[in-house]
Order: sequence, then C-alpha cells, then structure tokens
Amino acid sequence: MSLWSTLPPDEQLLTEPADEADLALVGEQDERADLAAYRRERRRARTRRLGTGALGLAVLALLWQLIATLINDPVFLPSVSQTAASFAHYFGRPYPSQGKPLWFDALTSLRRILIGFAGGTVIGVALGAGMSASRVVRHAIDPVIEVLRPLPPLAFIPLFIIWLGIGEMPKEVLILIGVAPIMAVVTVAALDEVPEDLRLRARTLGASPRYTMLRVQIRAALPGILTGMRIAMAGAWTSIVAAELIAATSGLGYLIMQAGDYLNTALVFSGIIMIAIIALVLDACLRGLLLLADPSRRR
Amino acid sequence: MAAPANGTAADAAWAPHLASAPGAEVVVDAVGKTFRRGGRRTVALSGVDLRVRPGELTCLLGPSGCGKSTLLRIIAGALAADQGTVTVGGRPVTGPSPDRGMLFQTPMLFSWLTTRNNIAFGPRAQRAAGLHERDDPELDEETTALLERVGLGGFGDAFPHELSGGMRHRAAFARALASRPSLLLMDEPFGALDAITRERMHEFLLDIWEQHRITIIFVTHDIEEAILLGDRVAVMGGRPPGIGEVIEISLARPRHATDTDTEAFLAVKRRIRAALRR
Repeated sequence: MSLWSTLPPDEQLLTEPADEADLALVGEQDERADLAAYRRERRRARTRRLGTGALGLAVLALLWQLIATLINDPVFLPSVSQTAASFAHYFGRPYPSQGKPLWFDALTSLRRILIGFAGGTVIGVALGAGMSASRVVRHAIDPVIEVLRPLPPLAFIPLFIIWLGIGEMPKEVLILIGVAPIMAVVTVAALDEVPEDLRLRARTLGASPRYTMLRVQIRAALPGILTGMRIAMAGAWTSIVAAELIAATSGLGYLIMQAGDYLNTALVFSGIIMIAIIALVLDACLRGLLLLADPSRRR
Repeated sequence: MAAPANGTAADAAWAPHLASAPGAEVVVDAVGKTFRRGGRRTVALSGVDLRVRPGELTCLLGPSGCGKSTLLRIIAGALAADQGTVTVGGRPVTGPSPDRGMLFQTPMLFSWLTTRNNIAFGPRAQRAAGLHERDDPELDEETTALLERVGLGGFGDAFPHELSGGMRHRAAFARALASRPSLLLMDEPFGALDAITRERMHEFLLDIWEQHRITIIFVTHDIEEAILLGDRVAVMGGRPPGIGEVIEISLARPRHATDTDTEAFLAVKRRIRAALRR
C-alpha cells in the first residue's frame, strides 16, 4: 500500500497544488508507491462524491414534494408526482393543441443552441488565436470585444428581427453573438497562459516552430478553451430561452410561456426540467472532453 | 550523428542514448549581451570566455543577477548573444537544438502526456522534422529502457500530476536524455526540492554522468552544491557581469553530502567564497 492511498480521500480533494506537491513528496519516500492503487482510491473518492451529489438532489425533490403537499394547490405549486405525470403526458402530445409536443420543442431549442454555439465557438476561437498571435490584431479587436461583451444579447433581439426576419436565423445569430466574445477572451487568455518556457522546452527537444505551436501551445491551451465553452454554454441557454419567451412560435421558452399563460404550472415545471436535463447533458459532454484534454482534473 | 557505442553490456538495453553521445566541447568566446527595456540598457554579460572540456561537469556559480542563466540560455541557443560566439562540438550555436538538452528548476513536463509520452516527445518531434527515422516500436523500446534507468519503471502510464517532485525531475531528465544530447544545460534544476530529495537527485545526476560522460554545465547559487558536483567551478559576478575565476575542484569522487565538513572541502569553500567577494 502506498502512502498516497492511505490518505483520507477528502485530503486529496481539498489540497491546493502546492500542498499536493508536498503530499507527492511524502509518496516519494516509498519508491514502491503503486500507481494503480492510487488511481483506484481516487476513483472510489469520485464515486463517493457523485453519491453525495445525488443525495443533495434527492433532498431537494423531497422538500418540493413536502411543500407542494402542504400547500395542496397544483396551480401554485404542483407536486413532484404531478409534474412527472405532466412531463410524461406532454412529452409526446402537442401543447397548446395547435402547437408541438415537448420533445419537439426541446429539439428545436437544442438545434438553435448547437448551431449558434458551434458558430460562436469557431469564430471566437479564431479571433482569439489571431489576437494571441498578432499584437496588431489584438489591439484592433480588443476594444470591439470589450464594448460588445457587457451588452446583454437580448438587447439585440429587435435588431435581429428587423435584419434577419423571424425564422431560425435570428435566434442562432443571437446565441452566436453571446458566445463568440466569451470564446475570444478565454482563447486569448488560455494561449497567453502557456509559459514561454514550455515552448522553449519543446524547441530544445527538437520540435519545429509549427510542431511546437500545434502540439504544445494549442494543446496546452485546450483545457482553458474547453472551460470557456462550458461558461459560454450556460450563457447560451439564458439567451435562447429568453428569445423564445419573447419572439418565437416554438422551442422550450415558447412552451413555458404558453403553459404559464394557461396556468398549466406543471407543464411550466416540465419545460424547466427539460432545460435542466439537456443543459446537464451538454455540460457533461464538455466536461468529458475537458477530462480527456486535462488528465490532472481526473480526480 | 551516430557515433560508435562504447557502453558496457549492462548499458546495452539503452545504449543508443548516452553511449552514442560522447560529451561535446563547449567554447564560449568573448560573449556579451545587453538587454534594452524602454530607454534603459542593462549589460547582462560582458566579455565572457569559457572552455568546457568534453565530458566535463562545470558549475556556473554566482549570486542572482550575475548573468549565469543568461549565459546558459545563450549556450542553449534560446537567446542570441550581441557579441562573441559559442560553439558546441565545433559547431556554432545559432538556435535551440536537441543536441543540447536543457533542465530548469521546474520540470515543465507536458501535463497532458504520460511519463512515457513525455520522454518520447523529443524523438517524435525530431522524426516529424525529418531528423531521424526510428519507428514507434524502436522508440518504445528506448523509452522503456530510459524509464527503468531513471527509476520510473512502474510509472510509464502516470501523468505528471500523479508523480512526486523528485519523480517529475527524473522524468524531465529522461525526456532530455531521450534526444541523445552531447551537452546538458541545467539551470538550478534542484533548487525547489527539499534537501533530502535534492541529495538523491545529486547522486542520480552524478551516476548518469559518470557512466556516460556527457558534458554538463550546471548553474547554481549554492556553493556546496557546486563543489559536490563540479570538476570545475566558474565563479560569476562583477560589474559588468562576467566570469571571474575558474576553480578546479580536485576533491576525489565520489563526493558525499557528508564530506562537506572535511578540511579539504572547507578549504575549497573558502577559496570560492573569496573569489565571489572579488
């Protein structure tokens, strides 16, 4: 058994990088320190953490059910079971009757998000890479981003409707406009943060400038860029639901608005839960990519 | 590039590395460097001459700001000199080269690569640049041998954050060796380690050096470290900064940390102290 694996798992989770180095040095005393055992222990700690997280959600649902039962007014607050029934009912049935089923609205919102998010990420990363590579580009684009970034994308909705009509395009552009500046900023930061020494190291190991750029600088910046994508994704949901509340005839935001107008509170909750589920899945995908890109986060 | 192997049978497993890379001679001739920041000029080095014999371990010793790291970076080709020339193995230095390995205070491993892939980074990058044509199985075999050599046999698949401080340094060491350098440039490589780990790293360094006799230039501000390791110690300092005295350390090897209070050791220490004052 290595010294690492005998540490309480919480110790491992809470330590700062500096402390971690100290712990690692303790491990050094034992030259037989066993990598497999160390990883097993970390996996166990992760499972425990997931279990605790699930417990938190269960407590929230229990409280909700309890309060709903006490109030006993499904229009004010439907219970968990009523919401679940509503979710199941409307998942495949249109609401309002001339509208679309829940799954269709969910796919509509998801498509808008993915198209806008992909476009915004590509443009943002390209801008960020250009800004990191060239001082002139940076000085030219920086003020533009600084002016645009604090503006709420929602303020542009009327403009997009005037310019782009009421189809899918204005919604996708709205997402893009919100995502691109965030991605530009995080990309610049991530590329700038790669230490000069790391590149020098690659060069002294015989890597060409091109190889160093692709395999070291961009590679080292990848976790930062993926973290930025997670932040931008959260913003994208805010934008799309708000846009659908105001100016759409489909999508989860529209469904929630309609359900609210007819006091179908259980369906409002169903829509919100649908957003939570999709957002959670998308974030899990990005988190998965991040773990692939940055082994030190696998804990 | 390929020189005849002169390793022992025990080295055979990883013989291609160091046995085929005999130490290079380093000649630093009248090197000067001035940094300009804004309107201010700072002379970092002036008129530096140094000759390091093939296979020799030379320490550059001096206080902070004496230009020792600047000189090391110029020899590495990471920084261009304003005056003078540097030749390594008879060839003038014009830029970074895998023939001149570098090790710094922070191991700076590639955090997204396993130990094994960190070590193989150099050979793979060089293959991409068309410098050699060793295929993956061959590289794999060499990497495995190097992992064993630096005592990380069971940690080939570990990521840098799973290694201890000393292990990371040994991995960085193996990564530098994988390029078969004829010269290793070390800039206070063990400065951030605790005393015990540091002592082990000294033994490790000397062990590798004594077996394979690559040329090493070792920058430090620690007098005892310089005496323990060096064949010669070049004392740096002055205004403008340069190399003052070059002192031969004739103490018998192997030298141990426990020898530091012997009369012979203290005499050398006093001599270096005096040179540093000058």
